[in-house]
Amino acid sequence: MNLDRSIRLGAVVAVSLCALTSARLTLVAQPGVFGGGYGPPLAVVPPPKAFATSEEHYKFLLTSAKGGTKHTITSVPRWDGLWVTAGNTHMNSFIDPPGFAGKVREGVLTPPYEKAYRERWRQQQELGEVQYDRLTHCEPPGYPRWLLEPYSHEFVNLPQESYLINDFGPGIRRIYIGQEHKNVFGTHSWYGDTIGFWDGDKLITNTKYLLPADFTRWSPMTSNQFESVETWQLKKYPSDVERLEVQVTFYDRHAFVKPVNAVYAFRRGKELEAAGHRVQHWECETSNNDVFDKGTTTSRLPGEAGFKDARGTTLFPELPGQSRDPIYNTTLPSAKESK
Amino acid sequence: MKTSLRMLAGSLVAFLLTTSAVMAHHSFAMFDKSIEKVITGTVARWQFNAPHSWLYLNVKNADGTQTLWSFEGSAPQSLLTRGITGATFEPGATVTVSYCPMKDGRPAGGLGWAKLANGTFVNPADGGCDGSPNAIEKWKGWMAKGITSSADATKAVK
Repeated sequence: MNLDRSIRLGAVVAVSLCALTSARLTLVAQPGVFGGGYGPPLAVVPPPKAFATSEEHYKFLLTSAKGGTKHTITSVPRWDGLWVTAGNTHMNSFIDPPGFAGKVREGVLTPPYEKAYRERWRQQQELGEVQYDRLTHCEPPGYPRWLLEPYSHEFVNLPQESYLINDFGPGIRRIYIGQEHKNVFGTHSWYGDTIGFWDGDKLITNTKYLLPADFTRWSPMTSNQFESVETWQLKKYPSDVERLEVQVTFYDRHAFVKPVNAVYAFRRGKELEAAGHRVQHWECETSNNDVFDKGTTTSRLPGEAGFKDARGTTLFPELPGQSRDPIYNTTLPSAKESK
Repeated sequence: MKTSLRMLAGSLVAFLLTTSAVMAHHSFAMFDKSIEKVITGTVARWQFNAPHSWLYLNVKNADGTQTLWSFEGSAPQSLLTRGITGATFEPGATVTVSYCPMKDGRPAGGLGWAKLANGTFVNPADGGCDGSPNAIEKWKGWMAKGITSSADATKAVK
């Protein structure tokens, strides 16, 4: 290799490394996570003023909208089809600078939640993965994690109710339009209770009565007092970019020093529709694996005690037609549970 | 120069694929991503399930016995966009796959690429191993030399 070729190769390597680093930062920086980078950068629109509670915030917006727009079946905005996540900014509030090389921001979370998050972040940075994820124990994503789970979403708007569906479980949120909160069960749940109203083409929601959860496994945990106010709007940008954007203010008196703002986005999943994808229920049995030090894991293989076969048979194998793999009818070895 | 550029481009694509793949929902820390191996077997089941697919292969051992191996791949929502469906690995079909072994030594691994019986290569990988076009090209050269482990490939270079 002559000098000229060496210089050219060096330049190519340097440019490539820069591109590589830049690309990696783009991907792991929060706007790039979970489908980010589609369309213009996501920008958080904070609320018009500070509110003490999500309820106060929601009522302010409802009053500003003069009680909201009363849509009919023909006028209610349609967000039909499959959607996939198109990024979010939630980690910008907690990590500085954004990305997996950043540090936990001080004073955003309350001391106990900040301490817990620092440990979670330490695992993420030092081990490359957190060791425990709620989902591997068959917990649903819950809210707010519902907002960023990848894969696919469907949004069905009716005048009296909206159905926001996540292809994870699936998890379905129901938005009761023009109603008050209800909690006849006397407890909290994974997706809580959500009410909403339309302000023209914007859907404004208020969610409360949630179970403790998290934003995702490398993000802060949330408490049973976590609440939110969301503004959903379909936006269009040049070059035929269409994005469903969700401006959110999160309230949590146990976890946050003050409310946290973020924006989440979705784009149409045309490639999934073209590939024939349809939303199904997921078998959580296939993803049970906590990993411990030295690579040991709770993951169980066929034939081992504790292995859960997602396509095995039901508890009534002696009956015909009880296989959960009716097309190929495969079987995997399983160990009998000790009694 | 062209080769270098191709390799760099391939590396970039592989890097981006890997980086995006690790955004999947659970830990891949149980797989040793510093080692890649290749193994051939017949399909016991292709579990095309979300959030993670599993490919189960019956592999013949040198002593004539058979071991059931398990390999974790990506979710259907991602695989469908790569041309992989629930019918890609039919039971009984002979398949060669690359994988990153489990750290605890059990017969399982993170799935890399897969070579179907008709010779086609596909990429069912998630964050557990590299199934990118670059990895496929790399392994085509190694397999032509009879290499079945990246560790052996490294030794051969030395």
